[in-house]
Amino acid sequence: MRNDLSLSEVLRQQGVSRRGFLKFCAATASMLALGPGMAPVIAAALEKARRPSVIWLSFQECTGCTESLTRSHSPSVEGLIFDAISLDYHHTLQAAAGTAAEAAREAAMQANPDGYLVVVDGSIPLGNPGYSTIAGVSNVDMLREVAAGATAIVAVGTCAAFGGLPHAAPNPTGAVSVSDIIKDKPIINVPGCPPIPVVITGVLAHFLVFGQLPELDGLGRPMAFFGHNIHDRCYRRPFYEQGKFAETFDDEGARQGWCLYKLGCKGPVTYNACATAKWNQGTSFPIQSGHGCLGCSQPDFWDQGGFYHALSAGTSTSGVGLGVAAVAGAALGAASALGTRSSQHEARREVEQIVNSQPAAAGCARGGEQGKK
Amino acid sequence: MTLLEFARGPALQWSTIILVLGLILRIAGAWLLAHDKDYSRPRVDAAWRGGLRAVFSRFWPHQPFVRQTWFHILAGYVLHVGLFVVVFLYAPHIAFIRDLTGLNWPGLPANLVLFVGALTAASLVAFFVRRLVHPVMRTISTLDDYLSNLITLAPLVTGILAYAHFGGRYETLLAIHLLSVSLLFVWIPLSKLAHVITFIPSRFQLGAWLGRRGVKA
Amino acid sequence: MSTGLSQIGVRVVDAKTGNVPLLLTEIRHAVERLLDSGETHVIDLLALPLAPGEDKRIEQALGRGEASARVDALGPSEFQETAFAGVWLVTHFNAAGEIVGRFVEIAPVPEILQAPEADIRDGLRRLADALSGVNDAQ
Ligand code: SF4
Repeated sequence: MRNDLSLSEVLRQQGVSRRGFLKFCAATASMLALGPGMAPVIAAALEKARRPSVIWLSFQECTGCTESLTRSHSPSVEGLIFDAISLDYHHTLQAAAGTAAEAAREAAMQANPDGYLVVVDGSIPLGNPGYSTIAGVSNVDMLREVAAGATAIVAVGTCAAFGGLPHAAPNPTGAVSVSDIIKDKPIINVPGCPPIPVVITGVLAHFLVFGQLPELDGLGRPMAFFGHNIHDRCYRRPFYEQGKFAETFDDEGARQGWCLYKLGCKGPVTYNACATAKWNQGTSFPIQSGHGCLGCSQPDFWDQGGFYHALSAGTSTSGVGLGVAAVAGAALGAASALGTRSSQHEARREVEQIVNSQPAAAGCARGGEQGKK
Repeated sequence: MTLLEFARGPALQWSTIILVLGLILRIAGAWLLAHDKDYSRPRVDAAWRGGLRAVFSRFWPHQPFVRQTWFHILAGYVLHVGLFVVVFLYAPHIAFIRDLTGLNWPGLPANLVLFVGALTAASLVAFFVRRLVHPVMRTISTLDDYLSNLITLAPLVTGILAYAHFGGRYETLLAIHLLSVSLLFVWIPLSKLAHVITFIPSRFQLGAWLGRRGVKA
Repeated sequence: MSTGLSQIGVRVVDAKTGNVPLLLTEIRHAVERLLDSGETHVIDLLALPLAPGEDKRIEQALGRGEASARVDALGPSEFQETAFAGVWLVTHFNAAGEIVGRFVEIAPVPEILQAPEADIRDGLRRLADALSGVNDAQ
């Protein structure tokens, strides 16, 4: 397919009518969480948009992100977007292998001197370059080389965005995120373990439609999808307000669909689109299926003190620790009391001497002692 | 480490350790001091009953003083009952305690707790102002009193803000709330706030001593 | 033995999210604006945090009106007038029959239902061609 065609021309070539195009724009606006009013703007932009060339790099990853993407409602709107970009290199998906695949990557880099979009999934191990290589090239070297000519980089998945599972303590491979290595290119983080398929394609669509990066939050995530936390959009929220909580996964509260906060839901501190975009063709999302949010689109979500610990619980506090503190407190208290006792005894001896020398006043003196203490 | 990770991790860990260690140290340190023998003949058989009585009887105001001290009594009740409700009957707080102790009990609706929390905070502000303007109060107040008031107020205010998602992102507000709680935990054993637990032995001691003399107090 | 969803002991109750009354209020204001100024309005139902079953409740609350239409472009699209004239429920499906867009549109006729000008011109051209073919044959 020619790279100089606009997206609307590509669609027309595929026999998509004007109505189909408008429908595509409406669905894209919905997918991008832009609001239906933006559909005409998207239509106008797509009349002009050129097909970007995309190079997809998979590093230390589980392929879950690619799985998620290819499971997106295909064939569909997002599928069309993929038809509209030219995915020149994706070593997991492409047919070519070995030298031919690497040649395709180099060709794509040379054919697009004005820049291309780089998509990365997986973290980059710095501990030992041999932990993860492609055709003998270490991940960090390949990232640096490909990133040099990129317009922008999309870090897909929590591994690429924040280090993810490989980065979890004790991080045996020294895994880091894309933004830990590349400092001089715009980076869009699309975290999630895996990210919601329409969020991945939505970010690509945004780039395609507007030719620029979407608005990002402090962690480099597009506001359109990561602008709200799960808790604010959760349909179980009314139960949270009413103080109705499931205490276990099979109690009456769980059956009634009550809030999962006490079962460790991390919805209040997790920013993602699950509660509205949902999963599996809009079927449901984890909370709707009865499991608290794990917070998979947040940095270091593996190291937040356990998935089933309530958000309000400390991550390193323990009952045993406090027991030890109590014993230590008692011991220190006893020691200090014993230290004080010797001076108390001395004082008492003095008092007794005085009392003994004045036998008649004994009762009074003793009575007064209590008060003096 | 993010602010929230610090707050949920080391801050809570060390502040709870200091809280428990400090309070037990204070009680044990006082209790294990040498007690003077009382050579007088007790007027009742079991003076400790008087001690137990005092622990509870002093939850009620002393009648003859009610007229002059009604403000203190009322605001004091609001403050203490309010704190009890907020600390022990709000689900996320119960979850915190359950995580440490395994104990669990039902909570109250969030907006009710929010309302009580706001009242409690108001009572603390009222006390603070009174301390500043009332000549007698000002004379007998120490830095400890002012700080204890503010440090108790802080978790209430930050908690309400976090609940209302007001003034920042929730994770930041939650972290600040947890940090203010940590500060309170550390401050309690070091200050007059230690009365959260020491009120029991001290009332007991006084009640038992008076009881021995046949005074019902 | 297969375990259907119905056999799992999870009952999803009527979570009082309050989405339905809010939505109806928004629709009401939009209809007022349509009458006053002719301004049309679209509400994206997929952007609302709907509780299970709430979509059905919205459908019930809106009811069914006289007109309905279907468009086949990039998969089917359904246009159902609700019991309130000028309020349409629009559902776009992809070729696999999955929902890719669901909107409440407040307009005399939903936008996509109207023939686009480019297509009308195109049709006129083809009509003229066909007519000249007929004339030639006679
Ligand atoms: S289930 Fe989780 S996200 Fe939903 S209301 Fe409860 S705590 Fe918030």
